[in-house]
Amino acid sequence: MLEIKNLHITFETEKETVLAVQDLNLRLQKGETISIVGESGSGKSVTALAIMGLLRGNKKCQMTGEIWFESRQFGRVDLTKLSKDDLRKIQGAEIGMIFQEPMTSLNPVYTCGNQVAEAILSHENITREMAQARVIELFKKVKLPDPLRKYNAYPHELSGGQKQRVMIAMALACQPSLIIADEPTTALDVTVQKAILEVLEGLRYDHDTAVIFITHDLGVVAEIADDVLVMYKGRVVEQDDALNIFDNPQHPYTKGLLACRPRLDIKMRTLPTVSDFMELNKEGEIVEKNRQTLGETLLYNFISEEEIEEHNEALAKQKPILTVKNLKTYFPIKEGLFRKTVGYFNAVDDVTFEVYKGETIGLVGESGCGKTTLGRTILRLVEPTAGDIHFNGKHINALNKTEMREMRREMQIIFQDPYSSLNPRMTIGQAIIEPMQIHKLLPTYAHCKEWAMELLEKVNLEPDHFYRYPHEFSGGQRQRICIARTLAVKPKLIIADESVSALDVSVQAQVLNLLNDLKAEFQLTYIFISHDLSVVKFMADRIIVMNRGKIEEIDYANEIYESQKTPYTRRLINAIPRGSSNDILKARQRREERNKK
Amino acid sequence: MINFIFRRVLYGFLVVCGVVIILFWLFYVLPGDPVEAVMGGKGDAKTRQNVARELGLDQPIYTQFLYYVNDLSPIAIHELSADNYKKYNYLPIIPTQYSLVLKLPYLGRSYQSQRRVGEVIWEDIEGTIVLALTAMLFATLIGVGIGIVAALRVNTWVDYTLVSLSVVGISIPSFVLAILVSMFFGFYLSEYTGLKVTGSLWDMNPFTGDKELRLKNLILPAFTLALRPLSIIVQLTRSAMLEVLSQDYIRTARAKGVPFHKIILKHALKNALNPVVTAVSGWLASLMAGAFFIEYVFGWKGLGRTTIEAVGQRDLPLVMGATIVIACIFVVINIVVDILYALIDPRVRLE
Repeated sequence: MLEIKNLHITFETEKETVLAVQDLNLRLQKGETISIVGESGSGKSVTALAIMGLLRGNKKCQMTGEIWFESRQFGRVDLTKLSKDDLRKIQGAEIGMIFQEPMTSLNPVYTCGNQVAEAILSHENITREMAQARVIELFKKVKLPDPLRKYNAYPHELSGGQKQRVMIAMALACQPSLIIADEPTTALDVTVQKAILEVLEGLRYDHDTAVIFITHDLGVVAEIADDVLVMYKGRVVEQDDALNIFDNPQHPYTKGLLACRPRLDIKMRTLPTVSDFMELNKEGEIVEKNRQTLGETLLYNFISEEEIEEHNEALAKQKPILTVKNLKTYFPIKEGLFRKTVGYFNAVDDVTFEVYKGETIGLVGESGCGKTTLGRTILRLVEPTAGDIHFNGKHINALNKTEMREMRREMQIIFQDPYSSLNPRMTIGQAIIEPMQIHKLLPTYAHCKEWAMELLEKVNLEPDHFYRYPHEFSGGQRQRICIARTLAVKPKLIIADESVSALDVSVQAQVLNLLNDLKAEFQLTYIFISHDLSVVKFMADRIIVMNRGKIEEIDYANEIYESQKTPYTRRLINAIPRGSSNDILKARQRREERNKK
Repeated sequence: MINFIFRRVLYGFLVVCGVVIILFWLFYVLPGDPVEAVMGGKGDAKTRQNVARELGLDQPIYTQFLYYVNDLSPIAIHELSADNYKKYNYLPIIPTQYSLVLKLPYLGRSYQSQRRVGEVIWEDIEGTIVLALTAMLFATLIGVGIGIVAALRVNTWVDYTLVSLSVVGISIPSFVLAILVSMFFGFYLSEYTGLKVTGSLWDMNPFTGDKELRLKNLILPAFTLALRPLSIIVQLTRSAMLEVLSQDYIRTARAKGVPFHKIILKHALKNALNPVVTAVSGWLASLMAGAFFIEYVFGWKGLGRTTIEAVGQRDLPLVMGATIVIACIFVVINIVVDILYALIDPRVRLE
């Protein structure tokens, strides 16, 4: 029903012509799910936009090739040659699209219902009331709670997962035969991700909808994709049945992608990265490095259970560097004419734990569970309502402003978004030196500069990046700069708040390894906050599971993953996509059984 | 919503109170002699004394302030007498000798014309409001339209031309433009346009002596007054539209096959309006204070001209009255704009 032949897309930038997609061929049957996998800049999203016809009118974009689509209205047509008006009749009606960012993909000034109804009204000649009834049906189908009220709700009143459901409802509105989902779950919690994947899978049974699923994370697609297409720098490097890709990847890049996902079954010493498997030569061609299979890479690299136990015992003998006792952070809810406080939102509710020196403690939970607030309260970026925090023997709550500022030298935080946490008008050097100067760490500027350059090298960047500005760097590089800035004041405790969530899996692996190396070198203690449980499993010695501001359970990492004490934790763990060939086979069996029915 | 309006009205009231207090200090405590202003340098010492007593200037400052506030307040205490009734035109609530009364704020009498300040301002403000509203309505509609066109044709000759013209529009001083416009359209081309160089909203009919509405006279001053805000609105709309058009939700709208004109007018424009509303409200508020040059050149009867003349003649009651009225207008426009923000963007909560 969809056939792409020799698709070629280039973008004109001020300096050069960038090849976004090169020689892409693809066939998709009715009811089939194909997944396009690759890191940012690999051309996967551009391909989606090209199919959707959304690259039209972009003057900097050059496109050649054919995109044949089996249309209900026009028969078999080449989408690239269709007139603007005819294309509009297909957009949204026969091809639906779900975008990556549910937060920004809905228009903030119209109600969710209105926006979904608009998709129907743009293609069908029915009354607004009929459209509304259909939208409410759709909301039920995507399992949006309270569909009637959600119809009149504005996007900002919904959670991320609910917004993505609205987006899916919008894509489904006219019962398209093809749905393109561009990273539909990347920004969401694992539990929400699982639910959304289930909705998407349900579609293929109910309506025989074909799906193109675009992601940077191979694990996510294992269970739902029939075919996988791996893209790297605009080129398709491997294209095969999903099972083959997972069982026997051929291309070094695919191997790298598969290896760099933190695993749940064994604990790795360091995460393999894509660069362990391949490198680029001077012409920009991929060269395979030390030919090894995935299994071999894992074999030399995992930590045995005895080792983990030994490590855990050694940790427990350490003195706690941070003690948190009955910590509460409440936010007042104000209402009425005189803004009277009518109640409190308990973001952190009676939390007690200890962190040992040299430990990495993971902090997990669904969004809104209070993990970020807890991290910020420990640093007193948010003032606690009650409770005690002791750090290194000092009572943090009792410190005055000046003492607290002094204290922050020892406790640092790395934020989630490397794009917005660097000042675009400061060079990298200035950014790193600033905290040193504030804390008067080194006597002269020359000393500071020397140390900053050393730090840049330590985070695997070049010393002369010192003079550059943030916009010249990629997301992974920027996060490394943020790490260097954090290290500049030689802290003892670092709170990493979703520090790798915005990064591609391949880049994420590099940053995680870096964090572990630095921990050993500088004798750091980490509080590692993340919604990605597999990442936490790799990083953490112990894990705190949070739910509604309270600690659900706290235990050694392997214990939590092997046996969960509470249903909440179990639900979290079960929602992690595993991506093993075993799971793929099971999923296929399930599918066949359903098809028979 | 109602809570919000109530709170804003309360804040607005406090602002007006602040203005009233500051005004009192500025005019009564600062050096300068009101008696001199009334007499115009003439009269003997006795007459001066009488005038001072009449104005209450022989009283201590706090008494003067109390009288001043009592005069201004719509609910006040006055002695019921024929003189006072003539002065304040009140409605007694409790008919005793010193009674609580309802009245319009009494702003005093002009030193120059001896007319009630309220009356003078009331007469002028109509012309100002009509002129300002017409100008801003014109500027907003045309400005937003041109801004959208420029944004859609970004980096083409259309865009460049429109932006260059708007820069010219911003840089021309209003008095230069006023003179040019009145000369060309009101004088040289008056045969074709049928417009006059000068004229107000109401003109006297030379034969019957009645006041007649002359909307035609509005065209030239309103156009002149509108040109500058129009140019600014063009640029604001253009840049806001460009930003909004690159947003993800515009891509979403395209992906669901929404027709082009609806994407622009429904999805993009409503999101781009915020900076425009801010600019329009600011301009409107300052135009309400009168546009002196325009009123002067076109001979338009308005608050700006009256106020400037009053300042020149040290006619304190008139200046104070005009200032208080303008402060009230600012407060009202600000409340309306805040509500407008919430109507445009549901994320703005009226809390």
